[in-house]
Amino acid sequence: MKKIVLLPIIAVSAAILTGCGTNAHYIQTGGRESIVSVGSINDQDFIQAADSAASDLLASGVLDRVKNPPAVLAMSRIVNNTGQQIDIDLLTKKIRVALNQSGKAVTTTTFGLGGQAEDPLAKGIQQQQEFMNDQKPARLPDFTLSGKIIETTAKAGNTSQATYSFQLSLTDQQGIAVWEGEKQITKQGSKSTVGF
Amino acid sequence: MIKTKLAAISAIALLMAGCHNPMNSVENAQKEGQRNMIADQRVVNDMGLNRSVYVAGVNTGMTPGGFLKVQVELFNRTRSFHRFSYHFEWFDENGMQIDNVVSATVPDQIEGGESKFVSAVAPTPACRDFRLKLLEAH
Repeated sequence: MKKIVLLPIIAVSAAILTGCGTNAHYIQTGGRESIVSVGSINDQDFIQAADSAASDLLASGVLDRVKNPPAVLAMSRIVNNTGQQIDIDLLTKKIRVALNQSGKAVTTTTFGLGGQAEDPLAKGIQQQQEFMNDQKPARLPDFTLSGKIIETTAKAGNTSQATYSFQLSLTDQQGIAVWEGEKQITKQGSKSTVGF
Repeated sequence: MIKTKLAAISAIALLMAGCHNPMNSVENAQKEGQRNMIADQRVVNDMGLNRSVYVAGVNTGMTPGGFLKVQVELFNRTRSFHRFSYHFEWFDENGMQIDNVVSATVPDQIEGGESKFVSAVAPTPACRDFRLKLLEAH
């Protein structure tokens, strides 16, 4: 009799105990099983912000206004005003890839802030080409992309809230911000969780 | 005694549900803009989600750059607030899915009785078709 009663209890306990931990497994990057943490920017936040910026920029039609399409884009400064250390490429690279895939814009890797090329070897080859063939200097970028990431936080009791604002500006050769976009992502909770 | 307890529990439940009351809204009756509504094809596996995040209609348009833009109207047929997430997929003229590096699964929420729109722009001008996936939030 005791065995009959004990066995289901042991089975249920074992099931509960094994359910407490999670074995390592693959998930879709940015998918709904991703870990959501209030105090930091997660992968899905960067994907969302980049998705929003790229869609908005493509829909605006600004990139179609250049004389010789596709538009040439140079990356300017994206200021990180959050309390975290962020690799800005997590945001900008996604936007660059999306714009490149759209066929509406390409990004220069030989023209950067303070004369610093993203790809120094490519810049060397470009300069060599210009010298050897007595060519005019390379085409200047049609637009530059700059921006800022801002974090604002609030707390009520055990509940924390963080809003991350991804602000971007596209500036033309005349120094006019011809497109501006902002995506705000707000997260609230007392601890990190798995899933949306 | 039991009746008193039941009444108290009911009152607490009502108060808790009342944290997110259904919403009211107003809009202009004579619409200036005309939506290009399209015929849609649905697969409903989650009936609960279909009640709280019901697809009321789909309309499409083209952006100045020649990208397909899709807008889906969602309607919460319940009186309670609901969290969900959505994700757009895009297909070219051959029906092949277009790989998109910034295809986000977007978390969203809808109030009881609310009608709201979710929209997306195709990642390339080659996109001809789309699919919206709606998921219950955890």
